[in-house]
Amino acid sequence: MSNNLCGLLSATFHEAGCEHLVELIHQRDAHARRRLASIDVAVYAADGAALHQATLDPRLDVIDLAALVAGIPSPPRRVLVTFDARYDERIFPYRPHHYGYVHRRGGRGAPLYYAVSAVLGGVPDRIGATNINNFESYLFMPKTAAGTHSVLLGNVARFAPSPIEVITYHGRTRSSSAVTLAPKTHAEIDLPAERDGGRLERVEVKSAFRVASYIVGRRAESEELVLFDHLFTYAR
Amino acid sequence: MTDMLAGVPDSLLLCYCTKLTVGDLRAACRRDDWPPAGKERTGKLCTGCLGDLNYLLRQLAAEPR
Repeated sequence: MSNNLCGLLSATFHEAGCEHLVELIHQRDAHARRRLASIDVAVYAADGAALHQATLDPRLDVIDLAALVAGIPSPPRRVLVTFDARYDERIFPYRPHHYGYVHRRGGRGAPLYYAVSAVLGGVPDRIGATNINNFESYLFMPKTAAGTHSVLLGNVARFAPSPIEVITYHGRTRSSSAVTLAPKTHAEIDLPAERDGGRLERVEVKSAFRVASYIVGRRAESEELVLFDHLFTYAR
Repeated sequence: MTDMLAGVPDSLLLCYCTKLTVGDLRAACRRDDWPPAGKERTGKLCTGCLGDLNYLLRQLAAEPR
């Protein structure tokens, strides 16, 4: 394989009971010339154990992530999934994007369509995305369909643990919690809806280096996902 | 010190932004020439490899030259 190929490693989370499709190539063209050079998928348990690794056909448009995970013997309730792509920057002058579609089977809510978080690569300076990306934040609407919120965090590094601080703002109350994730491990950090009488207004995630992070909202009674989105890079 | 690195292939892509491989890093450390020309922004762009880069630099700096 050419040494001139660019790399992009994206990551998402899959939970049991969900339909979950991932578009490997979001930017299709009429002649279907936009193909990745290669793409590998890997699935990890919360403790970092590698559950599945495979090379995908880069001609695939969409993979059924739920079916892939269902093929793993006794899969855990939630897994971290990485997509390790190589691409020619002449074909993807910006960078390729993977997009996900997730919906609780039999759920009453709308399906969620989201951009799979690009964790490693993508040459941010080439695309103008030069904000510090290991400080991220998310602002919550005053009214939300979610009964509970959390952040999902995953460390895709090969060797290095990542200390991560999760800071919440409820009105004037600032609280923080810390977690250290070993390579390929992940964790869900619950965000209280209220604290000291104030509602959850903002969350910040600060890590030593970029990690996979998603903000998650669930219905209180059914835990159905109603929000699954990336955080935003911190900028003053 | 470098037992953990013994099985790591030189071809492993370390920095996805500057295309630095573990082999490139090993060679640069052997030459005492870090960062090599054109790879100065390793770890500073998407920052995702920064932890691994610092870990490997510490490990490789301890290798006999």
